[in-house]
Amino acid sequence: MNKEERVLRLSRELDGQWTLPILLSLDEKGGRFTPLQNKLDIAPSRLSANLKKMVSDGLLIHLTPQERRHPLLPEYVLTEKGQLHRQAARAVQLSEEQIGHGRLSDKTWGMPILLTLSFEHGRFQEIRQSLDGITPRILSMRLQEFHNDRLICKQLLEEPRPSFLYQLEAQVQRPVHQLSIDLASLV
Amino acid sequence: MYKTGLTVWYSVTNLEQTLKFYSEKLSFEVIFHDSSSGMAMVNTNTQDCVLGFSEAEAVEASTSSTVFEVHNIEEAMKQLEEKGVSFIGEVEHIPDMVKLATFVDPDGHNLMLAESITEL
Repeated sequence: MNKEERVLRLSRELDGQWTLPILLSLDEKGGRFTPLQNKLDIAPSRLSANLKKMVSDGLLIHLTPQERRHPLLPEYVLTEKGQLHRQAARAVQLSEEQIGHGRLSDKTWGMPILLTLSFEHGRFQEIRQSLDGITPRILSMRLQEFHNDRLICKQLLEEPRPSFLYQLEAQVQRPVHQLSIDLASLV
Repeated sequence: MYKTGLTVWYSVTNLEQTLKFYSEKLSFEVIFHDSSSGMAMVNTNTQDCVLGFSEAEAVEASTSSTVFEVHNIEEAMKQLEEKGVSFIGEVEHIPDMVKLATFVDPDGHNLMLAESITEL
């Protein structure tokens, strides 16, 4: 897997509604359930399900009551992979702040699509091929949304056969490019 | 080396329920309570001896006991029973030493009342 693919995979692992906020709400070592729940204002069952997934993805370790030496110490501890994802989450957050369109990583495939465009894969099939597992339907939907939000522009190419070329809008190029550099430094 | 002070920390599943138990039933004073971090502390009957509580997803009932000294164990039990505390089993008598009455908090952490029969 080359660097570009690893960057895209990392950004894919951060998308979704809660992964990034949870990572950003944890401190360096990890965290406890109750402060996380209050900070994120999330239903306990939903937080539980997300934490469980993060544990199965190898980002967190859920300590048993016997493993915790003090009730104030974290219940969830970041693994090495989790620490890396937390740094990546910060880079994504910074990029989203600079783009100024709110959270983009809460949409499935949102950030990976923008990063793919910054790697100059501009045609629908090229984008699709560079994002392993994306469906044509969701790609089409995201491209339309980003176009409506003026994050990307599309240009009709006549040659070799009529197709659209998707590109990042000028104000989005720099933050997304910077994000690709930041994520590349972590993979 | 040591200064005066001892805190026993417990993991609890529901901080509000725990505080209700320790303040309303055992009459201990809440000295710190932060809902957002799920932490609280209560004073005990002994100066500088404090109980701390931290909310946790998974709680295992502690098998070690925090033991509160009382003047008269039967009277103390009666008072607590009137407030809804249930004692487990009979008063246990360790000859020439202590009388003990066991009860638990809402998470099943072991607690005891003790009446010393002999001065240590």
